[in-house]
Amino acid sequence: MPPVKPARNWWLWGGAIGFLVAMTWWSAVGIGFSMTELACNITGGGRLLQESWPPDFGFLPRLVDPFMETIYIAIIGTVVGGILAIPIAVLAARNLTLGPLVWFADRNFMNVLRTLPDLFWAMLFATAVGFGPVAGALALSVFTIAVVSKLWSESLEAIDMGLPEAVRSVGGTWLQMVQFGAIPQGLQHYVSYVLYAFELNVRASMVLGLVGAGGIGMILETQRANFEYERVTVIILSVLVAVLVIEQISESIRKKLT
Amino acid sequence: MSDKKGSIRFSDANIVYPNGAVGMKDLNLEIRPGEFVVVVGSSGAGKSTLLRAVNGLNRLTSGTVEVDGVPVPQKDGRELRELRAGVGMIFQDFRLVKRLSVMSNVLIGRLAHVPGWRAMLNLWPAHDRDVAHKALERVGIGEKTWVKASQLSGGQQQRVGIARALAQEPAIILADEPVASLDPVTTHQIMRDLVRINRDLGITTLVNLHFLDLARQYGQRIIGLRFGELVYDGSAETVTDEDFRNIYGRDFTEDDVLDEDAV
Amino acid sequence: MSPVALQPQRRIGWATWATFIIAALFAWSLIAIEFSPGRMIEVPGQVARVLSFFWPADMAYGWDAVLPAIVESIQIAWVGTIIAAILSLPLALFGARTLFPRIARFVKLISATARAFPEILLAIYFVPIVGLGAFAGALAIGISSVGMLTKLGAEVVESIDFGPVEAVEASGGSRILALRYAVVPQVLPEIVAHWLFRFELNIRASAVLGVVGAGGVGGVLLNTLRYRHFEKAAAVLILTIIVVLIIDMVSGEIRRRIIRS
Repeated sequence: MPPVKPARNWWLWGGAIGFLVAMTWWSAVGIGFSMTELACNITGGGRLLQESWPPDFGFLPRLVDPFMETIYIAIIGTVVGGILAIPIAVLAARNLTLGPLVWFADRNFMNVLRTLPDLFWAMLFATAVGFGPVAGALALSVFTIAVVSKLWSESLEAIDMGLPEAVRSVGGTWLQMVQFGAIPQGLQHYVSYVLYAFELNVRASMVLGLVGAGGIGMILETQRANFEYERVTVIILSVLVAVLVIEQISESIRKKLT
Repeated sequence: MSDKKGSIRFSDANIVYPNGAVGMKDLNLEIRPGEFVVVVGSSGAGKSTLLRAVNGLNRLTSGTVEVDGVPVPQKDGRELRELRAGVGMIFQDFRLVKRLSVMSNVLIGRLAHVPGWRAMLNLWPAHDRDVAHKALERVGIGEKTWVKASQLSGGQQQRVGIARALAQEPAIILADEPVASLDPVTTHQIMRDLVRINRDLGITTLVNLHFLDLARQYGQRIIGLRFGELVYDGSAETVTDEDFRNIYGRDFTEDDVLDEDAV
Repeated sequence: MSPVALQPQRRIGWATWATFIIAALFAWSLIAIEFSPGRMIEVPGQVARVLSFFWPADMAYGWDAVLPAIVESIQIAWVGTIIAAILSLPLALFGARTLFPRIARFVKLISATARAFPEILLAIYFVPIVGLGAFAGALAIGISSVGMLTKLGAEVVESIDFGPVEAVEASGGSRILALRYAVVPQVLPEIVAHWLFRFELNIRASAVLGVVGAGGVGGVLLNTLRYRHFEKAAAVLILTIIVVLIIDMVSGEIRRRIIRS
């Protein structure tokens, strides 16, 4: 006879599956998930598609300025955030930080920054400095810090510590150690993460306008509020194209770097 | 010819790879049911090509290969799968799914014997579980049935590989360099397992080996390949060092034997 | 000069040019959105002034109005992730170049398109179809996550050991059974870890969907800020940060355990 199959850890498996099912059921009920509603409203969806088609391409010229504004916001956010992320990432890397207290504080700061989505920052800055692209640029700066510092601090922790220690051993200061020993090793990753953040920022900056933080999203919001779906379609299609193009460029640069 | 299963016949078989390399050249070969055949040759001589042609993992460029008088189908499909179901294969690198239990790995050998939906849902009939377990006992690791494959030593993993092949209840076993990743002690254990299985169950067994002393020690019949061509076919008892030199096209060295005293 | 000696010179030149171009683009962007130095000096003061209104946070409002909205955001993210997980598993298998070279190109094209849409733009379309509310949000999150999960899943499948696949086929098993026995067991832990990670991201995504009326905590924050109820907005921020931190921690720990097993 074959040896009896050892009983699985029923508490673990039963618990995990039970949790999964319960959570899904509770969530689905909570948000009013219903296939019938989906099926019944498909006609509504058809009408919406009819309204969105054909796209009002005559609207395209009016998109150029907001589009440029979107790109400006993304550039400013990436540059400012990318620069500010450097010290935050270095201090959050266990092997480079100045002390356990600094490390702990910086790491938690980083994690808290990461919890809030880009549009929350946009809403906050729009309230503080007024509607417009400046709020968007500030929001994306914070968002970029959150993305880049987290990723880069992890790759800084993986660098070879021989060089930084060598800089220290010849009497270099902490700053010199970081500047000449650590950062050159992490530079490639840094550039690649900043480019990645730029991709995210382009995508985010397209929707920042929904909360009044400048860029093409502001036009999208007004057209949507007026149910001008032929124009909404044009905006969304052009956003899609822009995002795909910038992603391709950025990805090909990142591939060349690594 | 007897009605026993497990015969293989190559007729004017050729394999040329897409890059132009010749894997098999004008091969005519007949293997009778129940034979234990060791295939030797230097690397690139076409040993793997020969084995993999038997179960259609490598396709012929021309000629035929037959198993029990039936040509091996040269395209994917049910017929090829049916043929493969009766031909077990053992690999140099074991090819186990390391995250699954030993039992699940051996049951892979039963996939072609149960309805597809049962296999998909992991609902194995008691008979197939029994076959799988007997296969494990035959290679002496019945007590490892429910252990994860990744937790076994190299020799034990290869035994699971053998059990997987046995679970197919095959007429033929193809062992492609089964001991190349193992240490000398384990190597001899695995070779003895293969010989014993061949003797007890009468399964036609083809083993690729690099080491000459192993070939001489365990083979009944030795087949030598060089550049895809059959250059030696004879009994293990009568094979000479001169024959080996001819097969390898050079003097053999310490690298060609497992036990250095044998040189 | 020898080419070897030239090499480093050229690389420095490249980096300098890149820096220069980026600086120029940056300066131009600042001018274009009229972010003058004068304006920059004002910003910290403005932010500090608004922040000062945030205290004390109205936690009573937090328990009554914010927490239910956060719960709804979590539910949206959960359902969206489940939808995406179910759809993306087969897509990830068929999107693996190494297994299905021809179908994979097509699958990758679909996933790239799905990825390009920000969730919130999809929600703009789903809201009129299924009505205002959380259901529209879950659909938007689900669809936009499918793209990313398919891409990451296909990469996991492409990186596995293909030996066992051949072993299954050599024993007479079909392609589908090879997926079931040789591929899925190898990739499932990593893929589930990606699902969890995506859930963490989706919580953030679902939090903002309220902005377009697709349920969740985003709408609450928008309204409190719009009507200048800063103490209430503070409650939104505090509770969101705490809940997201907890979920990140739990999910991250589960991910690490799954990968290690």
